[in-house]
Amino acid sequence: MAEVATESRTLSGPGPGGRRPRTKGVSEKGLGRLFVTPAIGLMVLVALFPVIYAFVVSLRAYTGRQYEGFAGFENYSEALNDDKFWASLQFTFTFTVISVGAEFIIGLGFALLMNQAFRGRGITRAAILVPWVIPTVIAAQMWFFMFNVNPGFINSALGLGEFNWLGESGWVKFAVIFADVWKTAPFVALLLLAGLQTIPTDVYESARVDGANAWQRFWHITLPLLRPAIFVALLFRTIEALRVYDLPQVMTGGAFDTESLSMVVQQYVVKTPDPGLGSALSTITFTIILGIGVIFVSLLGRELVIGRKDQ
Amino acid sequence: MGRTKILGKWMLAAAAGSLVVAAACTPSSDDEGSSDGGGELTWAIGGAEAQPGGVDQKIAKLWNQQNPDNPITIETLPDEADQQREQQANVLQAESDEFDILGMDVIWTGEYSQNGWLESLDDVRDQIEPSVLEGAFDSAQWGGELWAAPFNTNAGFLYYRTDLIDQPPTTWDQLCQMAEQAGQKNGIGGLIGQGRKYEGFVVNWLEYYWSAGGELYNEDNSEVLFDPDIATQTTEFMQQAMDDGCFAPGFNTATEEEARAAFQTGKAVFMRNWPYAYQLIQDEGDPEVANNFDIAPLPTFSGQGTISALGGFNNAVSAYSSNKDAAKEFVVWASTDPEVQKMLATDASVPPVLTSVYDELQNEPDMALLSKVLPDAKPRPPAPTWNTISVEMQDALFPAYNGDGDPADASQSVADAFNESVE
Repeated sequence: MAEVATESRTLSGPGPGGRRPRTKGVSEKGLGRLFVTPAIGLMVLVALFPVIYAFVVSLRAYTGRQYEGFAGFENYSEALNDDKFWASLQFTFTFTVISVGAEFIIGLGFALLMNQAFRGRGITRAAILVPWVIPTVIAAQMWFFMFNVNPGFINSALGLGEFNWLGESGWVKFAVIFADVWKTAPFVALLLLAGLQTIPTDVYESARVDGANAWQRFWHITLPLLRPAIFVALLFRTIEALRVYDLPQVMTGGAFDTESLSMVVQQYVVKTPDPGLGSALSTITFTIILGIGVIFVSLLGRELVIGRKDQ
Repeated sequence: MGRTKILGKWMLAAAAGSLVVAAACTPSSDDEGSSDGGGELTWAIGGAEAQPGGVDQKIAKLWNQQNPDNPITIETLPDEADQQREQQANVLQAESDEFDILGMDVIWTGEYSQNGWLESLDDVRDQIEPSVLEGAFDSAQWGGELWAAPFNTNAGFLYYRTDLIDQPPTTWDQLCQMAEQAGQKNGIGGLIGQGRKYEGFVVNWLEYYWSAGGELYNEDNSEVLFDPDIATQTTEFMQQAMDDGCFAPGFNTATEEEARAAFQTGKAVFMRNWPYAYQLIQDEGDPEVANNFDIAPLPTFSGQGTISALGGFNNAVSAYSSNKDAAKEFVVWASTDPEVQKMLATDASVPPVLTSVYDELQNEPDMALLSKVLPDAKPRPPAPTWNTISVEMQDALFPAYNGDGDPADASQSVADAFNESVE
């Protein structure tokens, strides 16, 4: 980027004191902005429009699907007074914290394993990634069959008889989280592996010369240098986990307090249509996810800046 | 270097994989058959029978042979009822004439008619009413007006193992006694039904509630007759059945197909299911089940008569159709033509609505039982807010029968949902 900039500056002829002449048409910065305008315009249209539209709809009153007029923030107060919303928020957060935590630990283990040189590494890498390639709905249906009493694969494998995993309060959540960890730990592993491969090997070599053992190398070299990749992985997974829909929908249908925020949104948008309330709920969901995303990105940004200063 | 290359390859493969998935999710954009050329009709219907090779396709073909001027094409909707409804709603909300005929679940009549999406069929009422089943006809009416022509119906059966039970039970208490005894003796579950948290659970719950003498609305759906006391007893009965082992393990996670799988592999003494399972168990079931099972009417609490919830599909004419006359002709024909209605039964084991077909097919055990059960079958109210009520029932009653909530409180919130529906 810096290279390109200097080059074009020489082309347009540097002014006195390295300043660009402002008289010559569009400035370089302006030109740059001009060039990215179509891309940004498209992004606004695709990404921002639905968000704004949902907000607009959330301010309207509906009976069924019929528009009744302006409602102000009534839909929001209805949403916030709905027990269903709070129950689903609680489940979504529980689900997110536990599943992302477990995925991180298991994913890191996988990544470290895949980063080692050993025979059969290629096959191991491919095998670990299989769950992530399977579409979530199919994985969910598969785990439903695994956990359900009938055919009951897990029960027969563990000799548990007719244990009703998906029909017992508490165990249902375990099953859903388990399926999610199985499905997405490979994704975390993939991101962390990419991070691991950017760490130069000579750092490890000199550490070894200095007499650092494996644990010290992991704690003082791998983890700090892996930080940006860890943040990216956690950010992606957290945002995705907060939006979870298909896993609980297919595995439980929302039974035993496993209804996620997205499932409640879907209910009000599709099943028992109230577009105003549905949009209010989805705007709230969006705000929560955006807030958490912003926290992550600001942490990530600082991390990157500090990293650069060190060099 | 080599490492990064391999990693890059995977990322590419993974990205390609997700692209394929994304592409599969994008609705295909072929709009063939929905062109608004004068005589053409589009029939928007979903489910297995609307797929190529299904009986709906055969019916469309038959119509096209007889009516070359108004050929009909099927717009196949998804399998899931909620998604069918959503797709139809999108088209109707836009006041588009893309769909002329709407295949509607019996519980959508009120909602669609209230939204002004349907053409009234009151002028052809006389052509339909005398020849079709009363319950099916009721499900096509809302607010005293006829909005659709009944197409096929459905009712619940009690499936039981003849090698484990001598006589089918006539009361639910009897059933539970038999289920526990025979189940324990043979190391299998008792009754399997539709106990998962979804519409099917509401259907099962209603069958217990109705058979205990409960009602939902009065004759013309203007007054709520929901009885919280009977509702509480119903939920307590289910709770008890869960605890005692009258219900087979996995009752509370089963839909129709999980129930069928459990029964046909010999894991339950009894099953509550729709007629479609009758043929399938004979074809696919373990031999010890396939050769040793029979069907009976569902029991009641008093031992008198039988009660079943009514399912099925009706065909309605879209208010935005550009070819309403031909569309009307089609829905009446599909409802009352003996050949069409017989095809439903013989080609697809889908219960027809035309009464004469039942007389004709008396020798088929499932048809014979249907003609016994259907006169007493009750439709779920086709109220505009039925889905809201149903979701409320699922939210309140499911935890209650699983011991996570108080049955009396649950009945009260269901009562509130019903009362709101008539205000």
